[in-house]
Amino acid sequence: MVTATTKGLSRAHEIYADRGRRMRELRKAGKKIIGYLCLYPPIEIITAMGMVPFRIFGDMSEPITAADQVSTTVVCPFLRSIIDLGIKGKFDFLDGAVGAHTCDIGMTTIIAWRDYIKDAPFTHLIDVPHTDHAPAVDYFEGQINFFKKHIEELAGEKLAEDKLKKACELHNKQRKLVRDLYDLRKSDTPKLTSMENLEVMVSLFSLPVEEGNELLEEVIKDVKERSIKPSKKKARLMVWGPVFDNTSLYELIESAGADVVVDDTCVGTRAFWADVKAPYDLHALAQRYLVDIKCPRTYRDTQHQEIERDYDKDLDSRFNYIKKAVTDWHVNGVVLQSVKYCDTHGYEVPNLRHYLDTLGIPSIYIEHDYSERSLAPIKTRVEAFVETLG
Amino acid sequence: MEYEASKLFFAGIDIGSTMSKAVVVDARGKMLGYVVGQTGAEHRRRANRVMEDVLIKSSITLDQIAYIISTGYGRVNVPFADRQVTELTCHAKGVASLFPEVRTAIDIGGQDAKVLKIKNGRLTDFLTNDKCAAGTGRFLEVAAETLGLGLNEMGQVSLQSDSPVKINSLCTIFAQQEIISRLSEGQPLPDILAGVYIAVTTRVVKLARQLKVEPPVVFTGGVAKNAGMVKAMETVLGTAVLVPEEPLITGALGAAILARDEAFKLVQDGAYEAHRDKKLTEAYIDFGEKNERKM
Repeated sequence: MVTATTKGLSRAHEIYADRGRRMRELRKAGKKIIGYLCLYPPIEIITAMGMVPFRIFGDMSEPITAADQVSTTVVCPFLRSIIDLGIKGKFDFLDGAVGAHTCDIGMTTIIAWRDYIKDAPFTHLIDVPHTDHAPAVDYFEGQINFFKKHIEELAGEKLAEDKLKKACELHNKQRKLVRDLYDLRKSDTPKLTSMENLEVMVSLFSLPVEEGNELLEEVIKDVKERSIKPSKKKARLMVWGPVFDNTSLYELIESAGADVVVDDTCVGTRAFWADVKAPYDLHALAQRYLVDIKCPRTYRDTQHQEIERDYDKDLDSRFNYIKKAVTDWHVNGVVLQSVKYCDTHGYEVPNLRHYLDTLGIPSIYIEHDYSERSLAPIKTRVEAFVETLG
Repeated sequence: MEYEASKLFFAGIDIGSTMSKAVVVDARGKMLGYVVGQTGAEHRRRANRVMEDVLIKSSITLDQIAYIISTGYGRVNVPFADRQVTELTCHAKGVASLFPEVRTAIDIGGQDAKVLKIKNGRLTDFLTNDKCAAGTGRFLEVAAETLGLGLNEMGQVSLQSDSPVKINSLCTIFAQQEIISRLSEGQPLPDILAGVYIAVTTRVVKLARQLKVEPPVVFTGGVAKNAGMVKAMETVLGTAVLVPEEPLITGALGAAILARDEAFKLVQDGAYEAHRDKKLTEAYIDFGEKNERKM
């Protein structure tokens, strides 16, 4: 599918297949590589300190064997996979690992890292409150400040204001470019598949921000100039849910005869939709991460001043960004996916499905255990879902 | 035109986890013949045998079949099928062809259970059990083995009960232990059996209630052949259920009817090829390559 002219897409494909390669090169050249979990550590600070942020993912094709010695099996298999890979030395190119209290297991993962994974000696946990109220934002700003001080110690220098501003601008540029790339899939016959899109997204989490921006510019050019003429598919779907960093699910859905044209996951829109706003200080970071990222780990209590709660109004204020995406990308079905034991996303499912019902958008809920093998039984259900839409 | 649409025949073949089923229908959608056979480990690739059998039963030859749709768990292993359609869509179609008013269909097979919501003959929503064998035919097989009874015999005996015992465990293995302890308590066998059916049914009805059960309810799948199971289903649902004469073949029947619809559409569009060189071959099973990623 990828031809010689699609330079950016080929590069993304290579990075996706070997995420650590560029990191190893950079480290050899003297750069410090800081791994981070989830979307909540403010990566602008890492970039501003002259270090490289690297999003830590698991590996769906690697059976979890070593992690069971240090964690229980009835928790998020994505985070267990990360601990497993860490113990097996797969993250030996990291100088540090930063976690956040996005969920309880997200927090314990960084603790397990500190205790059992020796490759990245610098570890830091950022506490993240679970509401978006104003005092919570102030508290989170304090937590970001702790993180800033800790990483200043590691760097041996202070964080310069102008460097933070520059880093915010670079990351905002990346977010803008990702939104431009997603716009290209609004077409009836998108020239970019969801598998290719995911490879680009994963690459962005595996490159310094400037290199990621160059890659995005190349990919956007590639896609615009592409001469392929894909045929119109039976359905235009949106994928919702927690982290999905592997193309296999998208492949499964597209092979059922549907296009996945947009997503609401943290390896897609959720990571790139919100910008950091001026004046690019710690408070602006706190606002961007805690309030503007729409992840169910934060309780968005939109009506906390009202005594009587109107269910439908509440759902609309929580999910109208999904309604907007459904309209803008002409979505006619939503695949809600979740990793097993993710109660953060699990509790959101009935509300969201009800909301989609009221919009007249059919949806299906599937659960997997973050292994390629666990997707096979889901295949029939996804195919049947697409058949009901066709 | 070298064919007359009214003289064409259509086949549906449903390769389930335990049983393989095939149905042939004529241009009006009337069933000419069907077969039901074991799928088995070896037979996974031998959908051709089931097809041969159904042709003999229907007294026609392969070249009279205009279109074949495969469905079920093993639908990919039917190399001579023109199209694959999921068992969910096929069951809905098959059930609706027998009971046009149907709104809810509950199908319990050897290893899975599904609940279908149907409106005007079309599948609108569905749920499947995707976790374990509880609430499937396998659960009943385990119970039958434990009690040393045949599956049919088990159903008949259970009908004598008017106070079923409670089987609380939802796990097949734990439930087996529970059956043994009820036996050692001296509970009468019919009550234990009725309890087993209630346990399986409760599990499936819980699934069905997520989609709202609307009558008429049709009950299909191998498990629906069991009298004890039908009684339990009616008790737990609190409403009568309709069971087709042969509840195993609704998927294959739906596939055959879809094959007919599809072929007629092709004829209408002028895209139908009347003479295709078709052979019944064994499936070649490709295990595929594994993508390796480094970290």
